[in-house]
Amino acid sequence: MTLLKAEGITKSFRTGDIDTLVLKGVNLVLEPGEMVALSGPSGSGKSTLLNILGLLMQPSDGALSFMDKPMSGLTDKQLSAIRNTHYGFVFQFHHLLPDFTAMENVAFPAAAPAGGISAEIRDRAKMLLGRVDLTDRIDFAAMRLSGGQKQRVAIARALMNKPELVLADEPTGSLDRENSARVMALLREINHEDRTSFLISTHDPEIAKCCDRQINVVDGRIA
Amino acid sequence: MLFALRVAFRYLTANRVQSGLLIGGVALSVIVFVFMTALIRGLALFLTVQTTGQIAHVEMEPPRRIAEVMGPDARFAAQPISTFQRQQIRNWQLMVDQAEQLDHVVAVVPEVNGNGFLVRGTAVAPIALQGIDPSQIDAIIPLSKSIIDGSADLSTGGLLIGAELAEDLGLRAGVPVILRSDRGIERLIPVTGIFRIGLSNVDRRVAYLSIAVARPLLALPNGVTSVSIKLDDPALAPLIAEQLKRQLPLKVTAWQEKNRNLETALESQGRTGNFIQAFALIAIMISIASALLLTSVRRRGEIGIMRSFGISRGFVASVFVFQGVIIGLAGSLIGSALGYRLCLFLSEGITGPDGGPLLPIAPAEGGYVLVIVLTVVGSAISAILPAQAAARLDPVEAIQQ
Ligand SMILES: Nc1ncnc2c1ncn2[C@@H]1O[C@H](COP(=O)(O)OP(=O)(O)OP(=O)(O)O)[C@@H](O)[C@H]1O
Ligand SMILES: [Mg+2]
Repeated sequence: MTLLKAEGITKSFRTGDIDTLVLKGVNLVLEPGEMVALSGPSGSGKSTLLNILGLLMQPSDGALSFMDKPMSGLTDKQLSAIRNTHYGFVFQFHHLLPDFTAMENVAFPAAAPAGGISAEIRDRAKMLLGRVDLTDRIDFAAMRLSGGQKQRVAIARALMNKPELVLADEPTGSLDRENSARVMALLREINHEDRTSFLISTHDPEIAKCCDRQINVVDGRIA
Repeated sequence: MLFALRVAFRYLTANRVQSGLLIGGVALSVIVFVFMTALIRGLALFLTVQTTGQIAHVEMEPPRRIAEVMGPDARFAAQPISTFQRQQIRNWQLMVDQAEQLDHVVAVVPEVNGNGFLVRGTAVAPIALQGIDPSQIDAIIPLSKSIIDGSADLSTGGLLIGAELAEDLGLRAGVPVILRSDRGIERLIPVTGIFRIGLSNVDRRVAYLSIAVARPLLALPNGVTSVSIKLDDPALAPLIAEQLKRQLPLKVTAWQEKNRNLETALESQGRTGNFIQAFALIAIMISIASALLLTSVRRRGEIGIMRSFGISRGFVASVFVFQGVIIGLAGSLIGSALGYRLCLFLSEGITGPDGGPLLPIAPAEGGYVLVIVLTVVGSAISAILPAQAAARLDPVEAIQQ
């Protein structure tokens, strides 16, 4: 099984009367268990590509298949369900829900479809928080955590529904060197233990070195 | 769905000041609604009781002669009616007995009524004469309670007149006055007492006297002109009137038929109330809609992140609808309770100069169930727009901000 396959993906944005072609035909294959870095200069289209691969944005053209199934012609509801059960997301700005505790934030992706935080969900959320080394912050309100702690909670949340693929858009972009290294070590560990695939966009060559391979985006194409 | 409710609660408790103000605003509108409803229903109740307390609930009169002569038989139609022959109920004793048999009938008063003039010096005033049995003086109108001069005892052969009539003619209790009936018969009669009912057409126009005195004056030695009936429940008057119509060959009228004005007045008053109620509801809906719209803008980022990890649009929308429902429910419950306290205070705590309540508010008639249902439904509806706005957010755009 191929995890993710993109063929001839293009994306153009329309601003006023001008069409800007951002992605100019991207071909890419991800295998299960791979940890891949997506690098490239600023404005080259990394975030745009991640959003399309993550089913958050429709490509202008091209074909995308996930776990050997074509991802075209699906409704918003179907796409949401796939994101919920098979994907995990980590963004540069952690985007936790500030009025919920660390545990509730992690449990949320499972609790919303299930209708509540069951004992099972709670246990898994606590286990994941333990894994990102935040056992002592389980019941902290999300807004009371430090930047590095927030990002680790976001990683735990991305893992809640046992995703096949985690898409991370500059996950260490707002962290200092020490916290960056810690987060990357964590991602690597999860990748090894769970065979979860990662696609991580980054500017940092150090981080790219941690990955199995590196994909370079230059001017909307894979170099 | 249950988790959406929990999220809605969390959002509301996270912003206590805004939620508190919002619920307070809803409660205030609900208080206005409850107050208006209790006042208008109380006023209607008050006016109805006031009216029915001073009139006969059912009246029986002789059947119209016209109806008899307009029969299909041409011979009868040609029959002339004597204008001297008074319309009267001859076998009235039988009718009174019949009426007294019915449930809910508390008093049956045979009356000899007619018109006439009171003459004093050069002043002449038209009056409606009502001859009744002196023992039934309070059966229809609480006359003896309303006496402001003299007494209500008609058995001495005197006259009871209203305060306005007395003023017009400069009469006091004990003063004799010339009474000229429309039969052309004149008598000098003493004024026994002067009453003030508070209804101008009674206080200015009506004179009460003993039926025994009225008979020779109105040239009606045997019959009566009408029979008035008082009930224990005025609302039953049309029913009782129907019953009597079937049993007796008389024209029977319930008080509601003769007081269409009251009904019209109460209806238009009710419409005014509906307007104010509608505006109170609209105020509630606008404040909830705008506050939730603001919340949906403020929480764009959060909604975007939820959508990115696969939370459905339906879930996001229901979080907002639940917020509206919670605000509406809390506001209407608090508002109803406070509104009830306010009405109770105004109806019992504040009294007018006569010792009665200043406002005829009926605290029990605040329309509480109605306002709670309307507010909750209205809040849910006004949350739909913000809910849709939140659900339609593009996750990528929302996250980038
Ligand atoms: N919604 C949009 N409308 C118009 N243009 C857009 C939109 N989103 C992205 N772009 C443009 O597409 C190009 C690629 O943007 P993108 O965010 O994918 O770059 P990136 O590689 O992630 O850059 P960075 O490393 O700085 O995050 C940029 O020139 C950007 O201006
Ligand atoms: Mg980017």
